[in-house]
Amino acid sequence: MTKDNNTHFGFKTVPETEKAKKVSDVFHSVASKYDLMNDVMSAGMHRGWKKFAVSISGVKSGDKVLDIAGGSGDLSKLFAQKVGNDGQVILTDINASMLSIGRDRMLDAGINVSALQCDAEKLPFPDNHFDCVIVAFGLRNMTHKDAALREMQRVLKVGGRLLVLEFSKVWAPLSKIYDAYSFKLLPLMGKLFAKDAASYQYLAESIRMHPDQEALKQMMTKAGLTKVDYYNLSAGVVALHKGYKT
Amino acid sequence: MLSGIIKGFATKIAQHLLSQNSWVNAMLQPFAGKSVQFNIAMLKTSVVILEDGSLAIAGETNTPDAIVTIPASLLPRLLAKDEAAKMQIAVEGDTHLASELAKVLGNMRWDYTEDLSRVIGDVPAHKASQFVQSASSKVKETSINLAEMLSEYWQEEKPMIAKKRVVEKFNVDVDTLRADAARFEKRLSKLEKLSAK
Repeated sequence: MTKDNNTHFGFKTVPETEKAKKVSDVFHSVASKYDLMNDVMSAGMHRGWKKFAVSISGVKSGDKVLDIAGGSGDLSKLFAQKVGNDGQVILTDINASMLSIGRDRMLDAGINVSALQCDAEKLPFPDNHFDCVIVAFGLRNMTHKDAALREMQRVLKVGGRLLVLEFSKVWAPLSKIYDAYSFKLLPLMGKLFAKDAASYQYLAESIRMHPDQEALKQMMTKAGLTKVDYYNLSAGVVALHKGYKT
Repeated sequence: MLSGIIKGFATKIAQHLLSQNSWVNAMLQPFAGKSVQFNIAMLKTSVVILEDGSLAIAGETNTPDAIVTIPASLLPRLLAKDEAAKMQIAVEGDTHLASELAKVLGNMRWDYTEDLSRVIGDVPAHKASQFVQSASSKVKETSINLAEMLSEYWQEEKPMIAKKRVVEKFNVDVDTLRADAARFEKRLSKLEKLSAK
């Protein structure tokens, strides 16, 4: 096996063919407690980050929105309110366990959102179809991030926006505290609340291996997006990148 | 990174104001995706127009389509709604975009009665805003009276400030002197040329 066929799975190096399966196992494992853990890990801040992403999206009534790796459907729910009855929101995830939780939640809330299991690197949608594509806390788990970004760009209409909400590089003075939190406290919380320390160890490691703000901006530009800009949220713990298809 | 927190807060305020002034969305929608940088005294901030016509503070690496510079010295005049001061605002780049945005921002109003009513109820909020309006108009009136009184005192009783007509006469005298000096210089050079022959 050549070095080129390997990729990162947290701090480990694994064959590319195995990453998707390993990521899938992590999310099958955490699916039932995913929202609880998000609230515990971020002290509820993930809700604010998602609301900020929706407010920056510029999505209006009648728009078509694609929520990639949408899992439990938090963003789809917010976007469904924005697009109204004339618009459309499609919730997708590669992981069936996560998607079924999101789909059931939408049905229970009486929200009309289609749920579709698909791979972000091979999106089953025509070119120039969506006004907005969003991927929140999902890009870092993808094996070929560049291919996924190209696909997202392909399905966007001209003038459409890609929003990437993802963990990023924290403000330098806070990095020591953040490391201690990620590698000591996070797995411990995973063990206590979700009975799964290993999965949360992976989450912490995958955040560190993910490209920082500038690197992701370059990747989005390379994928064909223009006017790429980003917002640092909570001192850079999370960054929201926004790029246009022109 | 601290600026990120401030930006987030500023975005919230901007979006709240816009939700109270929804008429601006239709005006700004044609400029969706464009951004304007405002340099106001020491403060530098960029505003981006979103696709639904709403405004948000721009991100960390935004390249503005237009730059509006307002020096600190101009701020009191702008607050006093001095039309001549508006002409001195420097605009670079997409001037159409900047002027439309400036027009919109200048006409936006904060409906503080509405915000207050959510906390203390409609009637107390209405009473409170009436009190604030009447108090602010009294303060404004008193300030104008005081300024007029001082200006009169310093012009008539203890002259420290020049009167407008005196300044205007002085300006006319300076112009006349400048014209006379120019004429004299020309005549002098003509005479020098003649004597040289």
